Amino acid sequence: MSTTVGRSLGRYRAPIVVVAMLSSLLLIVPFLVLVATSWTSGSFILFPPEGFSLDWYAEVLADPEWTESFRLSLWTAALSTAIAAVLGTLAAIGLTRVRHTTARRWIRTLFIVPIALPPIAYAVGLYGVTVDLPFLRGTLATLVVGHALIALPYVFVIVSGGIARIDPALRPAASTLGARWPLILWKIELPAILPYLLSGALFAFVVVFDEVVLAVFLMPPGEQTLPLQMLNASQEAFSPELTAASTLVSGLALLVLAIVPVGRVLRRRAGRAASPRPAEGQAAPEGVTP
Amino acid sequence: MPSLTMPRARADARGRKPLGVSRAEHRWLLWPPLIFFAVALGFPLLTLVRRSLEGGGAAYADAFEVPAFTGSLVRTVVMAAVVMALTMVLGSLYALAVVASPTWLRFGLLAALVLSLWTSIMVRSFGWMLLELPRGALHWFLDLLGLADEPIELYQTTAGMYPAMVAVMLPFAVLPVMTALQSIDRQQLSAATIFGAGPWLTFRAVTWPQIMPSVLSGGVLVFVMSLGFYVTPLLLGGPGNMTVSGVINAQMNQANRPDIGAAMSILLVGGTMVVYLLADRLFRVSEKWG
Repeated sequence: MSTTVGRSLGRYRAPIVVVAMLSSLLLIVPFLVLVATSWTSGSFILFPPEGFSLDWYAEVLADPEWTESFRLSLWTAALSTAIAAVLGTLAAIGLTRVRHTTARRWIRTLFIVPIALPPIAYAVGLYGVTVDLPFLRGTLATLVVGHALIALPYVFVIVSGGIARIDPALRPAASTLGARWPLILWKIELPAILPYLLSGALFAFVVVFDEVVLAVFLMPPGEQTLPLQMLNASQEAFSPELTAASTLVSGLALLVLAIVPVGRVLRRRAGRAASPRPAEGQAAPEGVTP
Repeated sequence: MPSLTMPRARADARGRKPLGVSRAEHRWLLWPPLIFFAVALGFPLLTLVRRSLEGGGAAYADAFEVPAFTGSLVRTVVMAAVVMALTMVLGSLYALAVVASPTWLRFGLLAALVLSLWTSIMVRSFGWMLLELPRGALHWFLDLLGLADEPIELYQTTAGMYPAMVAVMLPFAVLPVMTALQSIDRQQLSAATIFGAGPWLTFRAVTWPQIMPSVLSGGVLVFVMSLGFYVTPLLLGGPGNMTVSGVINAQMNQANRPDIGAAMSILLVGGTMVVYLLADRLFRVSEKWG
């Protein structure tokens, strides 16, 4: 596939590739600098780093402020992601049942709107809600709900992409054979979109885990999510502790990213061993939905 | 996004919907996410409107009295537009390079993309700070080449902010174009070449029309997200480059005028939504994502 597009670019191909390589430096170099400064043995941020030590990593891991905020981020993000995953999937499936074209377009737009919503304005609004409703004060409910709303579009878009690949003949076939809609949903649609649901949820989790603006406004005093802790630390003093923490978080994220495809391959192998039917059987009649 | 329901929709329209959609199905699938949106999105927005109208609309007039506001408004729009233009150009070239380059290079380009998509925006902004500090990594590098004796003055300047913003937003412009390029019809490219079209004509007549909608939707996404940008301008632009988000934050947390903050938030949300909905009507943006 690459070669055709590549060949069609002719003599422009080399300059395009060079520009892309330079742009990829924009993406990589800052991160490498960040990582490098975190293994300094000095107590200031310097580039190139002085000596080499992992002291700052030990410092971060031993500091309850960092570990507490990490734990808090982990469970609030997990909760928001779970809400977003369920509702986003329902939204994506439910939308295919709407027959009115205009209605479908509007509802679809609505479900994607949170991507375009300026986080600070939404945070101010949610903050206003907490002020008005005293029983929400001091809880993390608004934060979790707000994050779920922000995460929902990602699940929705990715799962919608998966639904588009389901063979459209399957539903009528199952219906003709007497299956009612919950059964069709459970036996046909959910298994087919499960991989999309998982990758959507993973993406949503990463988005929510990094989100800081809502946390600035909605965290009860004394508690901090990890991104908020990082932002506050950067405003006070830019120390190797902060870059070590950033490196650890990014490393963890990349580790998860690396594990997921491996897990998927393993599962597919296991599935193949368990049943003679090829796993690709029900998936992706690519030509059906142009 | 391909249309999701072609065959079934036709069957439904003809027959007495033997395979149709029951009311219960609608209720259970579409209502939960819609209710969630009404609560999680409608409530905060209503609160914003109410809060901003508390003084009988005086808050809106006061908002424009805040000296920093009009400047930040112009600055934010200009910034979003410039970042959009730059990411559209670089993103398209990047996507082209990904599909047009040999495997090893494609792997590198994709790795850079995934790395930056998967690490948090804040961590990447930290990396840019380290790069741009007066005696940061960039200074070290230029010094190595014998180009810089004086500390460089990039940190917290407008010129220093743009590269970071472009780098942060670049993946959002690359991904849709890459998806479009991968599904391009190779036969048309080959046909164009066979009939003697040069690389420029082939690109203009065959490739561009097929990827243009995705380039546009990526650009709109970047524009809309940049309007609400908070973290990167805060860390890299400094006080001289306050965006609307920064001014809202100042109204809420320093000036202690929640009504003005709410009025500004309404203006920001309103502006962003108008842009997004217009773009969605004109270019069917939301259908290109995912």
